[in-house]
Amino acid sequence: MRRLLVLVSLAACTALTIALALAVLVAAESAVVSELPQQLAASLGRSGVEHPTTAVLLNFRSYDTLLEIGVLVIAGMSGISLASTRSLEDPALRSSDVLLYALQRWFVPLMLLLAAYLLWAGSHRPGGAFQAGAVLAATGVLMRLGGLPMAFIRPGVLLRLGLVLGFAVFLLVAIASALAGEAFLAYPPGMAGGLILAIETVLTLSIGMILLALFVAAPVSAEHEPEEGGGS
Amino acid sequence: MAGLLFTPLAWAALSLLLDFRRGRWLSWLGMLIQVLVSLSLWFAVAGGGGFFYALAGWEAPLGIALRVDGLAVSFVLLTAAVATACGVHAGVYLDPGKSWQRYFWPLFWFLWAGLNGVWLGADLFNLYVGLELISLAAVGLVALGGEAAALRAALRYLFAALLGSLAYLLGVALLYGQFGTLSLTGIAGVVGATEPAAALALLLMLAGLALKTALFPLHGWLPPAHGIAKSPVSALLSGLVVKASFYIAARLWLELGDRLGSQLLAQGLGALGAAAVLWGSWRAFRQPYLKQVVAYSSVAQIGYLFLLFPLTYAVAEPVSRLAQQGITLQVISHALAKAAMFLAAGNLILSVRSKRVDALGGVSHFLPFSLFSFGLAGVSLMGMPPTGGFAAKWLLLQASLASGQWWWIAVLLLGGVLAAAYVFRIYRASFLEDSVSDDFYHPPKTLEAIPMILALLALGLGLVAEPVLSVLALPFEVAAGVTAVQP
Repeated sequence: MRRLLVLVSLAACTALTIALALAVLVAAESAVVSELPQQLAASLGRSGVEHPTTAVLLNFRSYDTLLEIGVLVIAGMSGISLASTRSLEDPALRSSDVLLYALQRWFVPLMLLLAAYLLWAGSHRPGGAFQAGAVLAATGVLMRLGGLPMAFIRPGVLLRLGLVLGFAVFLLVAIASALAGEAFLAYPPGMAGGLILAIETVLTLSIGMILLALFVAAPVSAEHEPEEGGGS
Repeated sequence: MAGLLFTPLAWAALSLLLDFRRGRWLSWLGMLIQVLVSLSLWFAVAGGGGFFYALAGWEAPLGIALRVDGLAVSFVLLTAAVATACGVHAGVYLDPGKSWQRYFWPLFWFLWAGLNGVWLGADLFNLYVGLELISLAAVGLVALGGEAAALRAALRYLFAALLGSLAYLLGVALLYGQFGTLSLTGIAGVVGATEPAAALALLLMLAGLALKTALFPLHGWLPPAHGIAKSPVSALLSGLVVKASFYIAARLWLELGDRLGSQLLAQGLGALGAAAVLWGSWRAFRQPYLKQVVAYSSVAQIGYLFLLFPLTYAVAEPVSRLAQQGITLQVISHALAKAAMFLAAGNLILSVRSKRVDALGGVSHFLPFSLFSFGLAGVSLMGMPPTGGFAAKWLLLQASLASGQWWWIAVLLLGGVLAAAYVFRIYRASFLEDSVSDDFYHPPKTLEAIPMILALLALGLGLVAEPVLSVLALPFEVAAGVTAVQP
């Protein structure tokens, strides 16, 4: 029975893959010529940045990015809201290796520098807040595994402020532009470049914080509450 | 207009910094703002017709446009009504002493932001982001403060929701690859009759959305998640969240279905919907736990929504319009009635301190008000006049007759009878007098009043169906130079 199920699902997956491959081939042949690339190139000058990806993410389709940051904040929040989860707060799970510690003294500053570079590079070449935030979080994970104390990452007001900082600044810019009479999220002319860099900087901090919080900060709680639903 | 988008997001950010009690005051203020803004937008559209709103000052396809039409603003208003009711209920119902409850308000506001985003979305990728916002916030709310069983249900929900999202995203990628735009109206303008790749994309997207809407037989994740969540959360999930993915599926179908769909697909989806009505109602009748009864009833009621597909494919224009109106009414009346039912069920559980149906004996003396709200909501689910449920089924009945698809009539009638069976089963249990205990807890009056208001709204919907539907059918101005309107 189980083998049959595996075989059937395997066949279904193969069929789906073949169908997808065929669809991509057919779609590539009958693709409609889009004027989107020309539009993008024509508007890039007014976007405040030179790299098209960053322009799309933080200017043309900034609403998507704002909501995606919201999704990340939700993920971070849900992570730290889960009660009674074992986490790395447990000292038994923390290593204190001398060699690791020595290595970290080299790695951590380098990684922080790399994060800053990726953030800066975003305006004219591949890079930006998401990549920089990921490197920042990786630095934090490394520090945590190496046993460095990180008091700020405990669930408290500082952590919550950090989680929401990037989102809040992004939103504040959006609201300010709406109140100033432009459309929601429209940057005032001439200030797009500076604002995008400012938003990317706080976003980097928050993204790093969220990813790190998911790794580290699940609280250990002994409280209970009766459940309402039944077993299914 | 902008207020509608940024208030929930701003409130989510602010309430994350506060604890549950202070967040409650902030949130009640926010709900008031949201209701007022939704009402003013509704009146603006009812007076002046729909419009496109370009975000960030960039027109689609380069930027993202919002489509503000009669249907969208009606759902925005519905969301404001149901979410406010659930929010006020939650503020009283949830225990503020628990450390994790502070996360309720941010999740609640993100959920609201996602819902508004989906109702107004006109861009396929933006709709995906809206869906993600909704799913993750909903999963977070189910898991909030829960123990092993709740976490298991939440994780199952998460996997189902992610799989559905990925299938949808795959379809979006295929469509973008072929047509070079993400705007739904843009794609509908260029798509031809025989496009196998686009048809596969539509199939993938519909499959993913059906999984997220819990269409039979993909409904396995819904009853545990909706059953185990706290009652105000269950009400939000059943009333609004499952409707969001259905709404996207319906929009896709109505824009692209006439060229990319097929009679087989339409009838197949309808048949699955019919199976959901029968199977969900039967399972609801058999459940030993009160909230599971309500959750399986959702599976059944969602089934009706999928009758949209056969009743709008290859039929005359007036018949299709009739079916669309019927489904819209069904969405609205089910949202109101099911939210009322879950909130009332929460009160009953609070009162008898047990989640079993057979523990309800004698509760009819002590909590007649909540029990009455439960029954009123049930009347709407059964589809008895003069409720919104009746008006919806009446329209669907007419559409089935007019399109010659008589077999759906049997489903509509049988579904009503089965709904009556599971609602009366609860009533029967509550009137039994052989209960050993007569020790009941009395919930605060606010908790009892809210489900009653919602149930009365569902009841009254049938009486005002005509004006509600007239707003839905408003003309939509596809103006080239779209300007922002800020109420």
